Amino acid sequence: MTTADPGSLPAALRERVLEAARQARAAGRPAPEVPDIPPAEAFRRAAAALDGLLSSLDDTEWSRPVLRDLDVQGLVGHLAGVEEDMQRALAGDQAVAGADHAASTQPAAERQRGRPPARTRAEWRRAADRTLALADTAGDPGAAVALHGMRLPLGALLVVRAFELWTHDNDIRKATGRQAGTPDAATLRQMTTLAAAMLPVAAAVAGLPEAAQVHLVLTGPGGGTWDVAMGEAPPDPVPLTMVTDAIGFCRLAANRLSPGDLDVHVTGEPARAAGVLAAVAVLALD
Amino acid sequence: MLAPLVPARLGDPVTTRNPPRRCPPAADRASVPGMGGTDALLAARLAAGDDYALSEVFDRLAPAVYGGALRVLGDANAAQDVVQDVFVELWTRPDRYDPAAGSLHTYLTVLARHRAVDLVRSELRRIARQERHGQLDAAVPPPSPHDEVLAAEMAGAVRAAIASLPDAQRRVVELAYFGGLSSREVARAAGIPEGTAKSRLRLALAKLEAALDRQLLESP
Repeated sequence: MTTADPGSLPAALRERVLEAARQARAAGRPAPEVPDIPPAEAFRRAAAALDGLLSSLDDTEWSRPVLRDLDVQGLVGHLAGVEEDMQRALAGDQAVAGADHAASTQPAAERQRGRPPARTRAEWRRAADRTLALADTAGDPGAAVALHGMRLPLGALLVVRAFELWTHDNDIRKATGRQAGTPDAATLRQMTTLAAAMLPVAAAVAGLPEAAQVHLVLTGPGGGTWDVAMGEAPPDPVPLTMVTDAIGFCRLAANRLSPGDLDVHVTGEPARAAGVLAAVAVLALD
Repeated sequence: MLAPLVPARLGDPVTTRNPPRRCPPAADRASVPGMGGTDALLAARLAAGDDYALSEVFDRLAPAVYGGALRVLGDANAAQDVVQDVFVELWTRPDRYDPAAGSLHTYLTVLARHRAVDLVRSELRRIARQERHGQLDAAVPPPSPHDEVLAAEMAGAVRAAIASLPDAQRRVVELAYFGGLSSREVARAAGIPEGTAKSRLRLALAKLEAALDRQLLESP
């Protein structure tokens, strides 16, 4: 038996314990574990959630203004138009590769005017199901697909689409006085992982004034931890740590929450953190 | 919608983990509104897989965890094992800590004490087994003077706990654990049905463990 002073820790205990912990659970992944789902499943779930919401709307709610010049029916028409473009992209049609997201789908939104809402809902649902069917037969989920200014692996593009469906689902909820919806943890995990992966792109698009090594911690179901280099300079050995909740971060990335309204815990330079948050918001298009 | 532009880079993974890293200073730390106090924030970060948070918790609370374990065990190596168990459990099962139920300090030090008591209890069982099977075993190396002192203290604690049992239960324990009898033989020797012997043994063992836990938890 050996004795020691309880007030001081034995040398090397810290490294030993932290190493054992990392061996038991890799850093970065949430606990409890969230099941990994394929990107197509994330899209399918987001479509099912939106379909459930649409089924609950009455006729007056379909007419509520919701986004740009669109009412709810027009927005669902816009989504049907996005599916049509997505299907053309999957077929390799270059015309949709650089098309504007809103302008390209405006005809689909406008043709809904005067139609029964059930017909609009059915048109969008059929289009979403067709996207899923095409994605299932597309083969390589890593193959690049170009749509509306994006060129992404098919899997990532399906997660972007799930992100879009969730965002517009909440647009409609807000317009009709309903509480915001939250994706299930597995779908949200796909979305947060994608948003974190896009941070370097956001930095490039936004022209981040100072490079930053970001230690991003997204809390709550569907969250996780990522280390991302933003900007071209060599990574700072002392990273900027940013902690916020997963849903809030996704709302920021969807441009449904301003950086100033995001509850975030920062360890590092506040000005640099503000720059990073402002860059995240440029990921959104509509 | 999330609609990034172009990037050919996106075909490649852009998110990486880069250990080892230097943890940033905590000088700018503040609570996230709506996320509760520091412990709640740490718990949320641990659940999100933030290993910086684990380092922070270790630096803040490991001395208390280690000290608590050392007071129960009196052995530095065993106390270090307890520290490792406690922090690995916190990291792998962060959901077991409920910030609403108390501080992280309390949670970890109580967990450490329980782990330490479990170690002592298993040692007591080993001693009881040795007593049951006889003191001498050629395959076992002779104990060190330290081991003998510790074993004597523990054996004393076991005997004191047994002495506190009701007569009927104490009798079956003595027959089973110190007499080495099977439950059938205990029943025959005590003049009771075998089922009664078994239930008395179960009850007695439960009381013994509870008594030993109390004794150890209340020890300075």
